[in-house]
Amino acid sequence: MSKIYFTLNGKRVAFDGDPLKRLVDVLREGFQLTGTKEGCGEGECGACSVLKNGRLVTSCIIPVGAISGDEIVTIEGLRDTEQGRCIIEAFAEGGAVQCGFCIPGMVMAAQALLLRNPHPSEADVRLAISGNICRCTGYDLIVDSILLASRKGEGLW
Amino acid sequence: MVNECYIPASLEEALDIRKNTGARPLAGGSDLMVAYKRGVGITPVFPFPILLISQLYELKGISVQRDGTVVIGALSTSSEIAADERVPYLVRKAASLMGAVSLRNTATIGGNIGNSSPKGDLPQPLILLDARVVLQSSTGKREMKVDDFIIGAKKNYLRDDELIVAVKIPRPDYTYCYYRKIGTRKANAISKLSLSALMKVEDGIIRDFRASSGAAGPKVRRSRDVENIIIGKSLKELPDLIDSVLDGWNSIISPHAMPEYRRSATRRMLGHFLEECAKAPEAGIIE
Amino acid sequence: MALMQITDEMKRVDAYEKARGEATYLCDFRLDGMLYARMVRSTKARANILSIKVPELPEGYYFISAKDIPEGGKNALHMIAEDWRCFAENDVRYIGETIALLVGKDRGILYELEKKVEIEYEELPAVTTLDEALEKKAVISGEDNIMCSLECEMGRSVDEALQMADTIIEETFETGYQEHVHLETNSVACNYENGQFVIYASAQCPFYIRTSIACTMGLKPEDIIVRQMTTGGAFGGKEHFPDVLAGPLIVACNRIRKPIFLIFDREEDMEFSVKRHPSRTVFRTGVDRNGDILGTDIKIYYNAGAYLSSSYVVLQRGVFHSTGVYRFPAARAWGYGVATNCFPTCAFRGFGAPQTLYAIEMHMDHIARRFGLDPAEYKRKYFLKQGEETITQGHIVEKVVLEEMMKQVTDASDYFRKVKEYGIGSGKGIGISFYNHGGAFTGNGEQAIIKAKLKLRKTGEKVEILCGSTEMGQGFRSIMRKIVSATIGIDIDNVIYDNPDTSKVVDSGPTAASRSTMIVGFLCEKAAKEMKERWSEGDFEVVKQYEHPEGHPWDQATFRGDAYLGYGWGAAVVEVEVDRLTNEVSVKGIWSSHDIGRPIDRLIVHGQVNGGIIQSLGYAAMEKMESRNGRFRQTSMSDYIIPTSMDFPRQEWFLVDNPYPWGPNGAKGMGELVFNGADAAYMGAVERAIGRDTFSIPMPPEDLQGVIDRR
Repeated sequence: MSKIYFTLNGKRVAFDGDPLKRLVDVLREGFQLTGTKEGCGEGECGACSVLKNGRLVTSCIIPVGAISGDEIVTIEGLRDTEQGRCIIEAFAEGGAVQCGFCIPGMVMAAQALLLRNPHPSEADVRLAISGNICRCTGYDLIVDSILLASRKGEGLW
Repeated sequence: MVNECYIPASLEEALDIRKNTGARPLAGGSDLMVAYKRGVGITPVFPFPILLISQLYELKGISVQRDGTVVIGALSTSSEIAADERVPYLVRKAASLMGAVSLRNTATIGGNIGNSSPKGDLPQPLILLDARVVLQSSTGKREMKVDDFIIGAKKNYLRDDELIVAVKIPRPDYTYCYYRKIGTRKANAISKLSLSALMKVEDGIIRDFRASSGAAGPKVRRSRDVENIIIGKSLKELPDLIDSVLDGWNSIISPHAMPEYRRSATRRMLGHFLEECAKAPEAGIIE
Repeated sequence: MALMQITDEMKRVDAYEKARGEATYLCDFRLDGMLYARMVRSTKARANILSIKVPELPEGYYFISAKDIPEGGKNALHMIAEDWRCFAENDVRYIGETIALLVGKDRGILYELEKKVEIEYEELPAVTTLDEALEKKAVISGEDNIMCSLECEMGRSVDEALQMADTIIEETFETGYQEHVHLETNSVACNYENGQFVIYASAQCPFYIRTSIACTMGLKPEDIIVRQMTTGGAFGGKEHFPDVLAGPLIVACNRIRKPIFLIFDREEDMEFSVKRHPSRTVFRTGVDRNGDILGTDIKIYYNAGAYLSSSYVVLQRGVFHSTGVYRFPAARAWGYGVATNCFPTCAFRGFGAPQTLYAIEMHMDHIARRFGLDPAEYKRKYFLKQGEETITQGHIVEKVVLEEMMKQVTDASDYFRKVKEYGIGSGKGIGISFYNHGGAFTGNGEQAIIKAKLKLRKTGEKVEILCGSTEMGQGFRSIMRKIVSATIGIDIDNVIYDNPDTSKVVDSGPTAASRSTMIVGFLCEKAAKEMKERWSEGDFEVVKQYEHPEGHPWDQATFRGDAYLGYGWGAAVVEVEVDRLTNEVSVKGIWSSHDIGRPIDRLIVHGQVNGGIIQSLGYAAMEKMESRNGRFRQTSMSDYIIPTSMDFPRQEWFLVDNPYPWGPNGAKGMGELVFNGADAAYMGAVERAIGRDTFSIPMPPEDLQGVIDRR
């Protein structure tokens, strides 16, 4: 089987193996990028969210062969950018983080939203994270934190 | 266990492989990768060869033909469909309510039709609008109505050497339309029940009426017989005919899980649509 | 960071690492040579095992079962009792009971091997519902399937009250299973390091695990090390249940002497883990002609499943909260923990109180409306006050500020105007509930059983907190560091509090029962005060142990006395609109007020209030977990529905100031309180919107149809 080439956090990489291996496993085990979590394995909870060509997708249901040539960004690729740092700072300041398991996915969802809509309304935010399940926070403080990020990050998106 | 997997570089190559191996197409993965999942850290194992078609550019894109027919490439995702204003409202609405953001970025119209699940979101409005699937094999192309293509409960008439390459939606012609999906919750929900309806009124006469129910049985329900009860009648006569339409509709809904809720909710929603139309409001979407 | 005052709002100490994806949960942790495990489980609710055929195992794969428990050990997990076996042996008592562990390197191979294990059963008559157990379709525990029971009463004679009553109102309420759905599934690993077994666990109570599996292995608890990993949510689901993973793992590790990881898939976790007790509460309440309550007799039944686990304590709490925030002239409550061949039920935020609090709130709503009275006005007549008698013939020790809380939420929500405007059956409704939660361990648990300890160690300018309490998202690590920083007056960065390792910290009791801040935090504050005074002494340690305040007796044999020294109190209002076409309920507003003493950190409290209320609304509105013949029907996150960000609106929340003398900075427990009331407020609102009484939760839209159609 030929290799699958794609861009991972800005770098062109190659995957050699079963093209039907789940992207979440390729990331977590193949590339040791454990920031992306697995919460359900069926694309329902959003803990495994990454960006594919700037759009939010759940990596647990995507075979690596299906992202050939695509640009994948994980939390590891976002967290030290200006945009990423802004979101993460807002999450810390806004009290969004409790157990933390959903949070990398939420950060990716926030990024996916702000890339498209730098000045979202509360309703926009709630829609943007509606595929990210959180059991701890009841969502209000996560919503507040994303709105805070968009205010504090004026000009970043 | 190693999967047999093919990654074609072109549609032509894909069709060849399909013919020679019967490999099943995998586009987004949201159906197949879930159906055959085996757990944390474990690659799914498929009991048939897989044809990874997600990168085939020939199956992407949305265009409009001269007669107003909208052609949607099979690999168009729900979010692409939902964002394209040329796509008829009912299909866009259904696409926008499918799953959540991530699923809409992954699931394709070809996959949704090919899966033929009774709870699938897109077939329901497509059947209402008499949409057609375009099927291609290495020996040719054919088209058939989505309503005829889907048999029900995950079965359809796709031949072993064919792929769904596009969906064609004839330009809809209506005065009023309605779409409602009841999910398991307000977002990221599987459809418990859905209803699409449209009516065309001209000079006070009902020229066309259609309704289709999703997740109400093994297959999307639509009935020309029931629709014909009011086609050709005047809008003034409609209020007196609503009950017979509803009774007719009631009889075509399959009695499975939670029959009472599905029946009565469908009845109320359809009744609401007809009652509102009878008031002859301005053309547009009935809420 | 900096020096903290208690009143400063803080950034949680673990927020950055978690948001950056750098926190190490067990699934992110690697050990050289690690193997994986997969459970082999019973597929029958009750049966004898006739034979087990293990497929041929490749090199390096093992099948571990009861036979591998070492000499001197026991096939038991010591929880509160020792009835829960480490491995099922000879017979099985519920679907999902652990029969064996398959261990090996490749998880795909383990998955296929598990499917090939062939078990021959001889099925036995099973009881898989409360009714089957109570009717004794089969007897699986004692003589009558009642695993545990208790009775409490207060006031005048209930029987006389019922005799004198003008009307006896009989109502029965039921609640269903609830699944925790902590985003990180159950995960435990076991290794053999430097001559000792080390357990790495996603867990609430490392010391519980240690005690439990020491029993299994015939070891002393101190011989086993348990290290808590960053834990992705728990809510009670990781209080005792990690033992069920750790027991088989340590037995396997003893045989194989390699690190072994057991991480549940989501489906496994949903189908084969502990849940909240389904309940039935039966009221017989005597009222006079005006609707005033003369006395009430309450019978409470909890479905405990096949093993005791924490069910007796859950039942006790349910009974002690059965009269809610009310003082009736006469009240009697009987509680029964019923054994069934279902997956054992165990701890879940609220721990038995939510079930009876839901029931009493709905019952009060119904009685009020029956007599044409507004539920809020009706309920306030019975509000408990400081010093008044509780169901256990104890007393409310603290000042009760329910009146003030009621005013906050009714003003903010415009409750009274809306009640008039919406009427009954208009499609719009507003509901109100009052609730409480006794802080810390029920009865004499703190002083007689737990005897919590806390240690502070000063090294130079740094202070390390060495206690067994765990962070599971509730903010405990942040709270404790803040207490030390503010009390001693040192930079919070110089306060260390790592995830506990049982070989390094003292046992502070379980991280449960809303006791951590109240009990352990208080010890921490005391220790910090002493450390501050002695600061110039150089490097030293301070250890504090729990002291029960004088004058609050409790008799565990008779369940009489002051069951709780401090209650959290709550008031919630929920407004809804019901779609007349589809019965879908839209929540238009959520208002809550809580008395938690005095907050250590408002932002952390805010997060807890939001989270608890949403879980409670999910419990009422959508979280259906059905069990049929002992098998759960909803086993994935698409079938078992929990709230998303779009299901409920932003909440308005209030606190009242009512400092508690035995809590740090006046704080009381709150982790569970915030779960206990929104469900009844929601259902009260729905009832008024549809003009029908309801008697059970969850009540998703399709079930509302049956209620609306009911004659």
